[in-house]
Amino acid sequence: MRSLLLAVLAAYLIAAIHSILAFVNKRRSLQRVAEWSMAVGFVLHTAVLIDDWAVDGHYPLFGLRETLSFLSWALVGSYALVLYHYRAQAVGALAMPVICILTSAALLISPDPSASAAAFSTTWLFPIHTTLLVFAYAAFFIVFMASVMYLIQERELKVKTFSGFFHRLPALRTMNEISTHAAAVGLTLLTLGLVAGVFWSWSLHGKMWRNDPKEIFAVLTWLLYFVLAMFRSTANWRGRRAAWLGVLGFVLVLCTFLIAPLLGSYHVFGLALK
Amino acid sequence: MSIVLIGVNHKTAPVEIRERLAFDDAACAAGLRTLVDGELVREGLIVSTCNRVEILSATANEQIDLGAGRVTEFLDTSGNLPPGFLKDHLYRHTDEEAVRHLFRVASSLDSMVVGEPQVLGQVRHAYSLAVEAGTAGRILNRLVHHTFRVAKRVRTETGIAASAVSISYMAVELGKKIFDSLKGCTVMLIGAGEMAELSAKHLVNAGATRVMIANRTEAAARQLANQIGAATSVPFEQLDEHLHEADLVICSTGAPEYVLTEAYIRKAMSRRRKRPTCLIDISVPRNIDPATGKVPNVYLFDIDDLENVISSNIREREREAERAELIVQSEVMQFQQALRLMDVGPSIGAMREKFQDVARAELAKQRKKLGPLTKEQEAAVESLLMSTVNKIAHPIMDQMRRLYGTSDADAAPAPNDLIDLEE
Repeated sequence: MRSLLLAVLAAYLIAAIHSILAFVNKRRSLQRVAEWSMAVGFVLHTAVLIDDWAVDGHYPLFGLRETLSFLSWALVGSYALVLYHYRAQAVGALAMPVICILTSAALLISPDPSASAAAFSTTWLFPIHTTLLVFAYAAFFIVFMASVMYLIQERELKVKTFSGFFHRLPALRTMNEISTHAAAVGLTLLTLGLVAGVFWSWSLHGKMWRNDPKEIFAVLTWLLYFVLAMFRSTANWRGRRAAWLGVLGFVLVLCTFLIAPLLGSYHVFGLALK
Repeated sequence: MSIVLIGVNHKTAPVEIRERLAFDDAACAAGLRTLVDGELVREGLIVSTCNRVEILSATANEQIDLGAGRVTEFLDTSGNLPPGFLKDHLYRHTDEEAVRHLFRVASSLDSMVVGEPQVLGQVRHAYSLAVEAGTAGRILNRLVHHTFRVAKRVRTETGIAASAVSISYMAVELGKKIFDSLKGCTVMLIGAGEMAELSAKHLVNAGATRVMIANRTEAAARQLANQIGAATSVPFEQLDEHLHEADLVICSTGAPEYVLTEAYIRKAMSRRRKRPTCLIDISVPRNIDPATGKVPNVYLFDIDDLENVISSNIREREREAERAELIVQSEVMQFQQALRLMDVGPSIGAMREKFQDVARAELAKQRKKLGPLTKEQEAAVESLLMSTVNKIAHPIMDQMRRLYGTSDADAAPAPNDLIDLEE
């Protein structure tokens, strides 16, 4: 399946290059190429995931390699939704390169043969837990990108000397709506994912909470996005501050993903519980 | 046939000359009928706007100078100017240059404000006048339709007209950058000046649903409200009752002091639950306290800010214009090729007919020797002959089309010289 994943990466690379060119040159034809090759990549990627599932015999979201591949697949899907709902093509210039990096990382990491998925496939709660969280992180990444673009555009408007960004980024309201909606979706998925995780841990070990660094970061992330959603709905925090919170939230997501394993979390991809 | 374009524009002639040459619709139709004589000038079209008067004409290849002379004379007489007076102001483009010039004009690359949208409509109008007068023929029809296509390409593929270059239109551009679409937006005008009126009209055209007008003399506000439609006047004293409803505020009073202070705006912002608002102050002295620009979610622009943005937009348009020139260049080449094929088309047809005539003449000569034939046999002989001739002629004609379709066509002999078609 490596060769097919290579084809997926090629399609995403074409999409990334054309998205960036379309952003710089504002050409519709370039954007069309980007969207088509992204669609082709997505279909192939779906095939890769299904094939992995069939061949490996477990849900294709277990090892680090699989997680990266699944995450980039979820990101493509989320970006496609943003594109469909808001026509915010500028997001692609930022999202597609990241998707390419994730996909190539998935290609470079060799599958871990010692990993045994047996312990995890006993209950259906585990795949639900991981799938929900991966989609939640994809949604938070969308929030992050919309927030960054909001901050750039808002700065242009405040400073009043318009650079090239001004003409290329979507309107403030559009980016605000994208991040509000994506944050709401992300928060819902995160909540459900955490609940699924807690139940899974309980059913397997009889423990709900293990004071793991990853668990702590995840709860912090949840709190932050909850605060963000609350503030947005009561309208005390709008625009800039909410956007900064969206950026901060993503930093926490990255901590959960990258730093928590370094702090000795048992919650590492592909490793069986000790 | 050759295409000749002669005219003056804002770069080559002052307004005193342009106004004397300008044609209104009636003069244009009458002028075209006198100008196009079917001999020297076969086809004609007059583009007359406030920035240019140009005559586009088609003449026979060997009569370019005579045709151009006739057009120049026509301009002299219609402007009541002594012969030779226009010499220093006129430009004359032929063939490829003329095509490029027309493409550039219609794409608004030759305009005073690059990217302005009116000129295409003016070219369209000029063409409809020429069609009515019956002076647009084979060549000009083709050229003008190609021109429309080029102008559309330039408009959609480049951002040449994407950014605002006038103060009155800036409100629309800023509004779109904040609210995406102006649909459902509420606009407040403080002061009922001309600039405010123009901006409000642009905003309503762009979709703003509600306009409130506050002016010290309420009669003027009411009068303006009637003109704009979708507008209501608001008593000046009740300004703070309504300020929080406005997504966009355009301030242009003659007041010597700040009409909107920071405290005022802060209050309005908390009333509108901190939804973003855009304040545009086009009055001098300024009517909105510059300190309000620091309030979160308030975007304040004074007249200098707008001028700065406009000059950066003009630079952006010029960058886009460079890309438009590339489009024009490739379209000129395409048109030239189409034109050459069009020229060679009738000759190829004539050649095919000539071949068929020869075959028919030979058949007539030999017919007696064949003796009596049934109708079917007669038809079979004729069709045999014709299909043989056509099959032999086909590769030759293909080759001709290919030859004359390339830019080396000038080096190739004219189709009429290859075979004497007149015989």
